[in-house]
Amino acid sequence: MGAGEYWNPKTETLGRDELAALQLAKLHRMCDWAAARSPFYQRSFREAGFDPSQLRSLDDLRRLPMLTRDEWMASQGEQPPFGLLPVAGREAAIRWHTTSGTTGREPIRVLDTAKDWAWQAEMWCYGLWGFGVRPADTAYVAFGYGSFIGFWGLHYGMEKMGVLNVPGGAQTTEGRVRQLVDFGATVVASTPTYALRLAQEAERLGVDLATGGVKRLILSGEPAGSIPQTKALIERLWGARAGDTAGMTEIGTIMIFECSHQPGGTHIIEDHFIEEVVDPASDEPVGYGEAGERVVTSFGRGIIPLLRYRTADLVTKVPASRCACGRGFDLYEGGILGRVDDMKLVRGTNVYPRAVEGIVREFPAVEEFQLLLTREGHFDRIALRVEPAPEVTDQAWADMAERLAKALAEAHEGLRFEVERAQAGELPRFELKARRTVDRRDTPIGG
Amino acid sequence: MPTTDLLGRPTTEAEDELLELYRRCKALLARDDLAPCARAGARVATVGLWNAVNDLALEHEQLLDLGA
Repeated sequence: MGAGEYWNPKTETLGRDELAALQLAKLHRMCDWAAARSPFYQRSFREAGFDPSQLRSLDDLRRLPMLTRDEWMASQGEQPPFGLLPVAGREAAIRWHTTSGTTGREPIRVLDTAKDWAWQAEMWCYGLWGFGVRPADTAYVAFGYGSFIGFWGLHYGMEKMGVLNVPGGAQTTEGRVRQLVDFGATVVASTPTYALRLAQEAERLGVDLATGGVKRLILSGEPAGSIPQTKALIERLWGARAGDTAGMTEIGTIMIFECSHQPGGTHIIEDHFIEEVVDPASDEPVGYGEAGERVVTSFGRGIIPLLRYRTADLVTKVPASRCACGRGFDLYEGGILGRVDDMKLVRGTNVYPRAVEGIVREFPAVEEFQLLLTREGHFDRIALRVEPAPEVTDQAWADMAERLAKALAEAHEGLRFEVERAQAGELPRFELKARRTVDRRDTPIGG
Repeated sequence: MPTTDLLGRPTTEAEDELLELYRRCKALLARDDLAPCARAGARVATVGLWNAVNDLALEHEQLLDLGA
């Protein structure tokens, strides 16, 4: 592989032992920093009997207590608005962002210093360069630029790389389609769901994206970027390659990216993060090839040190050798697989929304869908509500519904899914983080 | 005296130059006699170089006390 393939050839091609040594050196410094400055970690280290001097190998990482979202939220309640994790107050920061709030819970509030903010763009550069974005590109960022951190880091990463950057801020989907065509975009950044929506809108407008100038899509914000069927559909509609990435507000940026070899997984940026995978029940580490919960330690954001944060993301780590790109960074096979609490139990059968989406995306006429779980008496119902393209006739719909129900049942031990046609425009559309699974089984009657 | 990176490997000539520039930027940022325009520029330069020396495993430190 040529050095031109990597943003940072020196560390992206380190061997595993050297990478571990670098991680340990950075971990020491982050733990010293947290112990000296963060009221939260001063307390948690004391309660756990941990001192940074105990770190002699990466195995000692497990001496550190894990941090949960609930603890972070409790800390925000204890000392509003930012809690006890930050090492400094808002006067030291240049940015204030929040989690997306799509779950209806109180958001996590985060601060960034000038250094932290620049580092976040840097992480995007690893991913963008790794997927083949270059200074000659024109990037269109289909993002609302609000308090949700989303693609902010990508925007500045593009600028840093010298890419001509078009911020597609708050406007209609039609407006965005017209702009990205008019401006000659070669790269588009959006969520997977919104990439599909843009393609639907383009078709309505008579714009053929597949023969247009867009060569790469940078996807983030949902696991769908690594669902093979969804990715294939996006790539076909756009006539472009789609690269998955994933990040989180809690670290401020991305921690994984798909390289241009598209190995069916996403590389972990391991010179800036330690990513553990643990059994969510026992907290014990799981090996390569086994699914477990992501636990992240970041060496980036200094104002809010993040050590062993349990993410509730479900992942399967595989060795770097799985990809031919030459990076020493391990991968998550299939990207983020979902949430550890995503699985739904319906009449004794496990239902994973990711698997359902994989089946639904094999039907290109599906414009939008929703998985609806309800309870009648003691009986659980599971319905797939589908909004097909308007030109789908009743006869075509009947055939499609039958095939969908059959495919879903075959993939779920014979579980019967009721497949219902929704009216055009009835189902919610999403620009960020689609929420297509609605579980009303605990909602009281009339609730 | 030869310098080494965080892995204990000898640094290259280009890395030495980066480190030198980074240290000079930090020293500039630490001064209290800079005009606002100069301070802002020094901060941007320091942060930019911090990313380079951090990526290249030459240095890993916080800049909070320098206002960055």
